[in-house]
Amino acid sequence: MMKLGILFSGGKDSTLALHRAAESHEIACLITVVSENPASFMFHTPNIDLTGLQAEALGVPLVRVTTKGEKETELADLQRAITAAKETYGIEGVVTGAVRSTYQAARVQRICHVLGLWCFNPLWLKDQVVLLREVVSEGYDVIISGVAAEGVSSLLGEKIVPKTVDVLERLAETARINPAGEGGEFESTVLDAPLFKKRIGLVRVKKEEEAHAGVLRIEEARLVEK
Amino acid sequence: MMLVISTCAEELSEREFVQPLSAIIPKSRIVHWSKVTQKDIAAASAIIISGTALADFAYLEGDWSWLKDCAAAVLGICAGAQVIAKVFGAELDKKTVIGVRPIQAVRENELVLEGASGYFLYTLEPKGNFDVLARSDGAPCVFRIPGKDVFGCTFHPEVLNPDIIRRFLAKKF
Repeated sequence: MMKLGILFSGGKDSTLALHRAAESHEIACLITVVSENPASFMFHTPNIDLTGLQAEALGVPLVRVTTKGEKETELADLQRAITAAKETYGIEGVVTGAVRSTYQAARVQRICHVLGLWCFNPLWLKDQVVLLREVVSEGYDVIISGVAAEGVSSLLGEKIVPKTVDVLERLAETARINPAGEGGEFESTVLDAPLFKKRIGLVRVKKEEEAHAGVLRIEEARLVEK
Repeated sequence: MMLVISTCAEELSEREFVQPLSAIIPKSRIVHWSKVTQKDIAAASAIIISGTALADFAYLEGDWSWLKDCAAAVLGICAGAQVIAKVFGAELDKKTVIGVRPIQAVRENELVLEGASGYFLYTLEPKGNFDVLARSDGAPCVFRIPGKDVFGCTFHPEVLNPDIIRRFLAKKF
């Protein structure tokens, strides 16, 4: 059994990857990189600040690093975050929720190689609709917290339930979107999952929408007993 | 029966390197390298040896000598290509290649088509007297053991080139 750090955005993919890793390894910490650049290819995601509460819900420590999100420096910042996780929590490997992005996967692989760490991508090449259906069937409570594609925009703020998966599957055929949103079509935020000891209750949210893009800004949230 | 041999020391890595192969070859049987028997080899119509995590080298300690007398066609992917190279007397040079790189067919062949890119993830590069089918940055990336239906592919075709696997299984080589 290895001690692993999870690259954690708080969305469905990194949370599902965490659960898969926890089946056979110890989750020593979560690693979150907060980008100040909304155009960041690697790290931008709405409600990234919620990872603190999600870590608390999981009962796992969080290593949090901020980056300006510039193309070259954000990778150095990711390396800094993973190094901190290695030094503080003795991680032997890193887990990502990468599904298809060779851009992201290769960059994390390089950093792990430099730092002498294992790298695991348990969702790699997984069928995107199957992935969504696993999230639903295993009892994850996930909301769509960011949208950036025509057809998907009406789903802002919706929970991912079987009907949502049907809509996304249909859009994958008709509008050629990536049904799991890995192309940035939508972002998700996990409010509850099997390993969460408490769930996250939303107290105040605000929808910000423009054309086909939008964000569900979580302004206040708290932990709730399950 | 298609046989997929896992080179992964960690079960978690099998989700990344073995399950995607099963998705391309739905009726395959998966066996870990440490549990492969002569019976498994004899029953296989084709064999694919998977890749594994960059930090994993346990597969190099295994007994892969059965490859020398194997009647089935074999395709070794990344780590699988390394064990093929090792069994057939080639060297493994320490060289790290990570990411998407262009691949160029060296001569006309049905396995690798022109103008493709491959996803590479290795720290050991096979170097030997192969029948080279394709190169990347000058290094052999798809090779055949002369006189045998045994192939090595140093990149991961399951990521960007699944047709290479399909053509191999259809014996288009």
